[in-house]
Amino acid sequence: MRVLVVGAGLAGLTAAADLTAAGVDTTVLEARDRVGGRTRGIEVAPGAWVDAGAAYLGDRHTELHKTLAGVGLSTVPTTMDGASRFAFGGRDETRAGRFPPLNAVALGEMFDLLDELTATIRLDAPWLTPDAESWDALTAAQWAERHLRHPDARTFFPLFLGEMMAADPATVSMLHVALYLRSGGGIGYLNAFEGGAQQDRIRGGAHQVCERLAGRLGARVRLNRPVRAIQQNVRAATVHTDGEQFRCDAVVVAVPPLLAEAIDYQPVLPAPRATDLTGRGCAVKVQLVYPAPHWRADGLSGWSVSSTGPLLSTVDDSPPDGAVGVLTGFVTGAEAYRFAALSAPEQRAETLRQLAHLFPRLPLPIGFHVSDWVSEQYSRGCYAAVFGPHDWLRLGPRLSTAHGRVHWAGTETSTEYFGLMEGAIRSGHRVALEVLSSYEPVGRTR
Amino acid sequence: MNVDGVIALFRRVLDNPEIDAESDFFGLGGDSLLATRVLSAVAREYGVELTFDDFLLAPTPATLAKTIASVPR
Repeated sequence: MRVLVVGAGLAGLTAAADLTAAGVDTTVLEARDRVGGRTRGIEVAPGAWVDAGAAYLGDRHTELHKTLAGVGLSTVPTTMDGASRFAFGGRDETRAGRFPPLNAVALGEMFDLLDELTATIRLDAPWLTPDAESWDALTAAQWAERHLRHPDARTFFPLFLGEMMAADPATVSMLHVALYLRSGGGIGYLNAFEGGAQQDRIRGGAHQVCERLAGRLGARVRLNRPVRAIQQNVRAATVHTDGEQFRCDAVVVAVPPLLAEAIDYQPVLPAPRATDLTGRGCAVKVQLVYPAPHWRADGLSGWSVSSTGPLLSTVDDSPPDGAVGVLTGFVTGAEAYRFAALSAPEQRAETLRQLAHLFPRLPLPIGFHVSDWVSEQYSRGCYAAVFGPHDWLRLGPRLSTAHGRVHWAGTETSTEYFGLMEGAIRSGHRVALEVLSSYEPVGRTR
Repeated sequence: MNVDGVIALFRRVLDNPEIDAESDFFGLGGDSLLATRVLSAVAREYGVELTFDDFLLAPTPATLAKTIASVPR
């Protein structure tokens, strides 16, 4: 049997590794000149790497932990000691811990409502959730308008959605919000550092996972080969890149829905992978490099939250060896689109102007890196696709359903840990099993 | 005194049956998000709006019940 895998991110490489281990002739086609998809490393100082893309994991991310053990990688705990900085309504202040200077009862009521809705989600089939149709017709902004009375809850809600799922309330379906939060383990787990989904990072950078998986696959992984078309008939499938054709028994498409939708399929797909309302994950990551994590000496954790951009939150992302200090800023939601459209000097000027208020004692950074995932040609958003109104009902039922010889993977096809590295890896294992069980061994007789 | 009521509330929010009057919310895995859910429940059940800092200063059922009782309604 021969299988073509489209996309050398975590999902595609996990599937390719499983298929290869099962003796299947597997080839991975990757559009970029690198593997890793929505994980990417930046070397901020000699030997010191930070994550430009996906970064965090927790204990419940069991498949990712197994993969890490399998490729010889380890984790480092996320440090979160010290006071936080907050900038709400034009006022800068320092507070112990992570709680913002907002009305706690109002935020608690908001979390109660979100938790109540989240608990109703049917993870096996989100489109069959009670009242799925009405939740899916509603944007998160419309939901907030109806249910959040206190101004502090209205201030915090978009920041929370940006931080949790890189979504803009105006464009995301409320069913998608609830699914995402449920899928990641609930609002408590998804929001937490210690004991939650941000407990650890991968020592040396998350990009190494794909690099090591690809290293083992060797020449089976072919870079710089964007897939344009996939044709199939009863006998075989053919995958077309710009200059080549690959004939095979099955194809695994392991790219985000917006990219999968851009491939030409013959025969056509019975339902779209994405619609006009399917949004890009709105995240731009800004990394500022300093000679040392100076904020720690001032008793600060590096954590900040601001109600106006560009950096809606910052976190201490310094490599564990302490060679340099790294502050990572998140530009999310609608602000990510605005920021992504600025010129590089404007991005730098806006960021430094904001940092001068948030961390006035910091010197000028010795390194400045902007990772614009919104504009990224071969991701079209990060953390994951943001399903718009009606998307779950239209796309959901077929997200992981094979189209003949074409099978689907990627974190968006996993209702467990949707949008996370863990979801990508689970989808890769799932699709490999699906392919192995779908085809009779060819050229082998009993 | 509402100590038993607050114990029940902590048990529910922390999903931990082993809470007693002296259990420290923040020492038992309670983070700021979960704390807001205690405070919204306190507002609902006792009609008292406390701040996050009130809770930090009274992080056990015994002390939080005292704080609740001290607020004039």
